[in-house]
Amino acid sequence: MIESLNKAFCALPGVGKKTAQRFVYHLLERNREGGMNLAKALVDAMEHVKHCSSCRTLSEKDICNICANNNRTNTQLCVVETPTDIHAIEQSHIYKGKYFVLSGYLSPIDGIGASELGLDELEQKLHQQDIEEIILATNATIEGEVTAHYISNMAKQFEVRITRIAHGIPIGGELEYADINTIAHALSGRKDYDL
Amino acid sequence: MAKIDLTPAFLIHRRAFKDTSLLLDFFTQEHGKIRLVGRGSRKSKAPIQMFQHIKISFSGKSDLKSLNDVEVDDQPRSLQGEALILGMYANELIARLLQDQDPYFELFEIYKQFINQLPKLGKQASYWALRLFENSLLSELGYGLDFEHDVNGDEIDTRIECKYEYQSQVGFTKRSIGKISGNTIQLMLAEDVLNTPNVEQLKVCRDLNRARLHPLLGNKPLQSRLLFWSKN
Repeated sequence: MIESLNKAFCALPGVGKKTAQRFVYHLLERNREGGMNLAKALVDAMEHVKHCSSCRTLSEKDICNICANNNRTNTQLCVVETPTDIHAIEQSHIYKGKYFVLSGYLSPIDGIGASELGLDELEQKLHQQDIEEIILATNATIEGEVTAHYISNMAKQFEVRITRIAHGIPIGGELEYADINTIAHALSGRKDYDL
Repeated sequence: MAKIDLTPAFLIHRRAFKDTSLLLDFFTQEHGKIRLVGRGSRKSKAPIQMFQHIKISFSGKSDLKSLNDVEVDDQPRSLQGEALILGMYANELIARLLQDQDPYFELFEIYKQFINQLPKLGKQASYWALRLFENSLLSELGYGLDFEHDVNGDEIDTRIECKYEYQSQVGFTKRSIGKISGNTIQLMLAEDVLNTPNVEQLKVCRDLNRARLHPLLGNKPLQSRLLFWSKN
């Protein structure tokens, strides 16, 4: 039993045999109640959390809280790679639209194509709903850029404004320490200074 | 091979490996295509970019060697839109067709030139540059095509009305029903990136190179083609 629990903990990222063993002994010897809670929460989540049928993020309901929120605008759609990206954007409190989660990026060499990312669902969404702007918030990596390019080509057929999140110098950052690609992007994407 | 210091290279593909590492495929000048493991690379603040001239140091005794150091040896270059997809396509060709750790000095230079040109070229010219890159790749691999003579050894007639057909892995045969005109073959021979063929000729060149690549790629088609979004 102890051994199988050990192995089970190894399923977590960054947890090897040694760490798993520490977890197991800690729970068994010092915190049985915490262990029971963990087991219950884990079973609950594994059984009930699924993907939101509208935006594909993780949710225990059929439609997630963001999609079901009537105070958010339906006309803006922000496309992100992972559910954690939604969390990151939500923390900024600046975006009031809806989301669409790809759960990855296009990587043909690894066999991840448009259908794996649910892009046909996205196309349908653009077709059926009254979306005015699609914000491409995929990562600032080559793969993220390729994915953004593909989606923008797809979205062109609809009357929709296609925007890409800006890349540049982080707030509080110094130019001297930024890498050359970031500086080049920051310069080419500069905007008028509003006083 | 114990330790290699600062050899010129390009990153051609990367994928996640364990929690914080990356498996990185490089095309290097002196060691050809090589796969390295970048330990902790996923957490790097300045990740290695594709299509950028870099110099890499690596070491190791097993098959899978470790990346030790990367230096950027280039101005920033960001491929965007179609150019980006064409670059990815070229990368997949390299990943699929080159032998591991076999140097291809000339091809490296040609790839470098191709990547440098891409952001400056218009749509058609960039497709043409890709076709010429495919030509160089094929001849480096020993599958070069004689653009001067047909299969009988006669000189290619470069008039537009002269039609040829491509016979797989053999060469051109003169045929009135052929799709490849003599002057298109002449353009392929001239290898002039600035002398872009017209749309129709480009299509012929695309189909020709697709037929030439097919036996090398086998049943698994190039996946990057899926990146070209089409309505169908």
